Formats: sequence, C-alpha cells, structure tokens
Amino acid sequence: MDVYEVFRRSGHKDPFEHCGSVIASDSEMALLMAKECFLRRREGQHLWVARRTDIHSFKDESLLEIAADKSYRFPEAYRDVVAKREKARARAREVGAAAGESNR
Amino acid sequence: MSDSLISLLTALGDDELILGHRHSEWTGFAPHIEEDVAFSSIAQDEIGHAAGYFGILGTLTGDDPDHIALGRAPEDYRNAVLCERANGEWAYTLARHWLYDTADDLRLEVLESSAHEELAQLATKMRREERYHLIHADAWIKRVAHGPVEGRTRLEGGLSRAFGEAIGLFEPFEREDDAIKEGWLPTASSELRRRFIDRASASLDELGLPTEVRAGVDEAAEFVASSSGDLIASGEEPPGQGTRSTGGGGRRGVHSDDFRQLWDDMTRTYREHPGATW
Repeated sequence: MDVYEVFRRSGHKDPFEHCGSVIASDSEMALLMAKECFLRRREGQHLWVARRTDIHSFKDESLLEIAADKSYRFPEAYRDVVAKREKARARAREVGAAAGESNR
Repeated sequence: MSDSLISLLTALGDDELILGHRHSEWTGFAPHIEEDVAFSSIAQDEIGHAAGYFGILGTLTGDDPDHIALGRAPEDYRNAVLCERANGEWAYTLARHWLYDTADDLRLEVLESSAHEELAQLATKMRREERYHLIHADAWIKRVAHGPVEGRTRLEGGLSRAFGEAIGLFEPFEREDDAIKEGWLPTASSELRRRFIDRASASLDELGLPTEVRAGVDEAAEFVASSSGDLIASGEEPPGQGTRSTGGGGRRGVHSDDFRQLWDDMTRTYREHPGATW
C-alpha cells in the first residue's frame, strides 16, 4: 500500500489544488477512494492522484528562504521611476536652455 | 392503476433498500478508513435509488415513501433473499456487491426502455451511478482474486455462498407477465437471468476463479413452488439436502431469519416513534 496525494479542481478553468491523501494499493484504487473521500459532495469536477514518492521537493526547506532584501524583484520598488524621469526631463530642459543662452 | 407496475417497483426498491441497509452496517468497520467512506457512500447511493423507486410508487398509490420503506410488515417486502443476508466477512460482502451490481446493471439496461417514462428516466440516472459501483466492485474483486492465497480463498468462499442466491434476483415478481405485456419491464426475468449467468461466468473465468463457485446453478432452471411453499429451482433438490439455496422466495415475501433481524433494526425507530421527524 502506498500513500497517494489527491488533487482536485472545482471548475474546468481552475487549477488543481491539493485536498488530502489516501492509502491505496495502486493508482486505480487510489482514484476510487479519492472520488469517495474528496468528491462525493460535488466539491469539484476532476481529480488527480500521484504517489507521494513520485512528488519531489527540496530536502532542506531553509534553502527556499530568501536571505537578503529582494525588493528590486517587485514592481513596487519602481513606483518612483515616473517622478524621477519627469525630474530628469525638467533638468535636461534647463541645461539645454542654459546652453542656448551662452551660444548667442 | 397498474398492479404489475406497483409489484415491479416494490421488488426493485426493496432490493436497493435492503442491500443498502446491509452495506451501511459496514460503516465504522470496513477494512480501512478510505473504504469505510467509499462503501458507506455506495450504501447511501443504493438507499437513494430505493427512494427513487418509492417516489414513483408513492405517486401511484398515494403512500408516503418513508412509510413504504419503513412502515410495512416483514412479509410485505419483496427483495431477493441475497440482499438481506447478514454481511458475514468482507469477502462475502464483496462477492455479493459484485454479483448484485452486475445483475443490477443488466436490469437497469432494459429498464431504460421501460414503457413507464419516469421509470425509464430514473433507470438512466441510476445506471450512471451503478456503473461506478461496478467499477468499484470489479477493482476489488480483481485485486483479491490475484492477491495472496488467503484473500483469494475467502473470496471463493464468498462467491460460492452468494452466486446461487444471486439467481434469486431473477425470480419472477408477482404479475410479471402483465408487466411485460404492458412494457413496464421490457425483458422477462428468465432472459435477464440467462444474461446474468453468462456475464458473471465469463468474468469469473477471466479472473481464473474456479468454476465450483457457481456449481449447482442450473441455467435452464425455472422457479417452482416446492411442497414447503419455498420457491426452488427445478432440477435441484430442495434446500437442506446438500445442495445450495437458489435464493428464491423473496419476491413473494418469503424471507430468511436474517431478514427478520434486519427489519427489526431498520424499522425500530419508525415503529417506536410514529410520526417522528428529524
């Protein structure tokens, strides 16, 4: 007997989401058990089962922690770009005007 | 009002109700937690099917479906004896589940073209669910048949006990000739029995189960009344003389002692608290 993880989706366009697990002798049996345990009240319209040992993950979860400030990976970090650009344009106009004066 | 239609619906509904009740007795006791949920859900399905039949019956007779299910005397039930047998061990339950759902599929197939439109529609609806029940039963039977010897031996024992009595599912019900004439039941029980024996035998051969599990089942047998009043299949000795029961009698209200115990449990609340609701 193996542990099978059960994934279910509620609508045709929804993603499959993990909803629990069953113990079964093989995948066909796992599907039958999963149908009764997780779909008998119309909680969804489709099921997947996967043997737990066929699902791969990092052994050390701490590897997934983000150590430093990664704010530059988020759009919020770039919110002031428009203001900075406007400031730079204004400065460019100022410099351009000053150069025109001295050339006269 | 068609008495033959009432008789047909009573037999069909009682089979589902009584087997559903037996299945429900596994709740909390099935071999593992997943199967406990699965088998309980199947039990609910069967009782739901009984409610479907009794619903139609109620519109014909004016009786309340709850009263039809729980308010009758033991001798008024028309289920086949197979359905009322005590669960025994899991292997017997499994054998009966498989035989019953194989038989029911054949029966529903013909009922889909019943002249009674509501019954035909109900049959189509139920068959979708029963197809899943059959997949469940098949999956179990295959795994136990091909598994370790102890399980296989127990399954053979269960099939030996249940196969003969499964024939009783095709004992003609009262006024069946009229029901066929009217088109309520498009195919006679005797023909359904032949199809059942063919199909179940072929499946068991495929699984490599010994032919002894269906020994004593005479494909040409007709149900006739014995001197004791029990229906037996002709060509066989009466039960108790070394041959197996063919499970007859249920369609005339002749039941086993197992039924009495089931009826007592099933109807107790209804009898002791008339009119109670929940």
